[in-house]
Amino acid sequence: MRVGIVGFGTMGTTHAASYQRIADCELVAIADIRPERRALAEEQHDVRSYATLRDMLSAEALDVIDVCVPTFLHREHVEIAAEAGKHVFCEKPLARSRAEGQAMVDACRKAGVILGVGHVVRFFPEYQRAKAVIESGQMGNVGTVYTYRGGGGFPTAWQDWYARYEWSGGLTLDLIIHDFDFLRWTLGEVERVFAKSTWGRENNRMEHVLVSLRFANGVIGNVEGTWLDLGTFGTKFEFACDEGLLTHDSHWSSALKSYQLQSAAHTGKPGVAVPESPMAIDPYTLELKHFIECAREGKEPMINGEEALRAVEIAVAAQESIKTGKPVRLERG
Amino acid sequence: MRIGIMSFAHLHAYAYADVLNQLAGVEFAGIADEDAERGKAVASQLGTRYFNSFEELLKADIDGVIITAANADHRRLTEMAAAAGKHILCEKPIATTLEDGLAMEKVTREAGVKFQMAFPCRYVPAVQRLKAQYDDGLLGRVVLLRGTNHGKMPGGFFIDPEAAGGGAVVDHTVHLVDLVRWIFQTEIKEVYAEIDRRFHDIPTDDCGLLTLELTNGAFMTLDPSWSRPDDFYTWGDLYLKVVGTNMVTEVDMMRQSLERIGSQDPNYQWEFWGSNSDYGLVKEFVACIQEDRQPTITAQDGIKALEVALAAYESAKTGKPVKLDN
Repeated sequence: MRVGIVGFGTMGTTHAASYQRIADCELVAIADIRPERRALAEEQHDVRSYATLRDMLSAEALDVIDVCVPTFLHREHVEIAAEAGKHVFCEKPLARSRAEGQAMVDACRKAGVILGVGHVVRFFPEYQRAKAVIESGQMGNVGTVYTYRGGGGFPTAWQDWYARYEWSGGLTLDLIIHDFDFLRWTLGEVERVFAKSTWGRENNRMEHVLVSLRFANGVIGNVEGTWLDLGTFGTKFEFACDEGLLTHDSHWSSALKSYQLQSAAHTGKPGVAVPESPMAIDPYTLELKHFIECAREGKEPMINGEEALRAVEIAVAAQESIKTGKPVRLERG
Repeated sequence: MRIGIMSFAHLHAYAYADVLNQLAGVEFAGIADEDAERGKAVASQLGTRYFNSFEELLKADIDGVIITAANADHRRLTEMAAAAGKHILCEKPIATTLEDGLAMEKVTREAGVKFQMAFPCRYVPAVQRLKAQYDDGLLGRVVLLRGTNHGKMPGGFFIDPEAAGGGAVVDHTVHLVDLVRWIFQTEIKEVYAEIDRRFHDIPTDDCGLLTLELTNGAFMTLDPSWSRPDDFYTWGDLYLKVVGTNMVTEVDMMRQSLERIGSQDPNYQWEFWGSNSDYGLVKEFVACIQEDRQPTITAQDGIKALEVALAAYESAKTGKPVKLDN
């Protein structure tokens, strides 16, 4: 499979490295409007580079387009790729609204191409293991659930697009949509959402959100996300079940901790801890490997457009609740 | 100084009795209990006198009482103690209805007896440190809070809707609401809640999630669930995260523990070594009587905390946020 990536920012860079680890898959070209990113891509990977997706499509013979541009540009790029008959992998969140997401799903269906979406948390082993344990029934029924994500600080990116609500959807759509997708995958549909955010009350780069969820099966959920810089990025969850607790804390379960001493020697300040938990195959490579297989064999990926749209719906309901101060009931249809 | 205990229906009575026995110059003068068998057993176990009725205990030469009866009995026992001129330390929640709480405030004020609510978490040193951080301006303005007060399902009167006035939500909402009101000098202006019974086959709710708007502009979620398994390694938790404009602080009271891992059952337990907050609470009650000053944790504090729990039940029933007048 011949792959082209559009958008060589944080995710484009990560995906580019992953494609090199996937058999029978070749990263052929990269499109980015920034010349310095194109130069970097050419230097790091043996690829040709273009300013736009259209330029890349007209010059290269590609099977797959990986869309890693900012969220507000997803629809335009997915539709161009689909019209060109290419399978599309789109970074999460799929879209900023249900209508926008539905249009993308429809465009891919109409063109007969496979659409996959990067809800990579489903490929993180701790989350996969939690889902397996819950589904095994060993813990009994889930009563309440809590998730946490953040602490790594506000993301810096092209034109500061994360800071523009109309471009990124803020933290609710960009960050904790991971947890909305994971919880829905594990516990089923969400019925009701009530949410509070510092958005509009405080500096938007320090957004912090608390969400109350009620699932169709009765589970009561509490989702927390923050852009605050608390030293290191972290994730947590707790499933409280009638037969026990299942908990995760990424800071606790880090298998490798390194402390840089040099800065202490030079500045007298303590070094910064950089926790990581290395795996034989990283989750990004796993998600792209799965997608490439699906594209090759014409199968629906685990997280197709419809699945991703359900997560967008929860995030959009939370945004609406934040705005109106009222609980929002999710209507399916 | 002689103090009695009215009812051992609430488990905290045992902890308060321990403190009475530790405090210099204080005599644990006796107990009365609506359950005579329990009362007699406890009296002989703790080495104090058993009185056959609440009336007899109140006739004895005592200065004050600790009321640790079922929530719905707080008002009746408070009225009896106030009529007998005894000072009162009352277990939380203050009552099961606002009407009862207001009546207790009135009767103790008019009788001129001291009335202190039992909110021992104000005496947790980590909590006091958080309050100092706020008072000293280190936290800045408070933006949001997240609290949990998880526990095991306590059984007894706690799961009798009439006697307790609810389940986990009325039991565990009040501690955190009191801390937030006390530390940040704020009131709660709106309550939204999801409440259910999902863990135990009992007549009351056992879990929930409250979302609060505060008058100081901050918001909060509060989880009061009885969601810890029966063999959980400690009784539960009291956790509060505060996001201020200058600092983020987390209080996690039970973390002052050793992890004890053995080959016997239970093979994993926490050995708490933190300070005894009940000691500070009861000591303050005794000091208020000795020094003739008003307790800092008042009936009004009890009423305001109960109001939030009752609003949570109303919100869960109607599916809408409930506004509170302040």
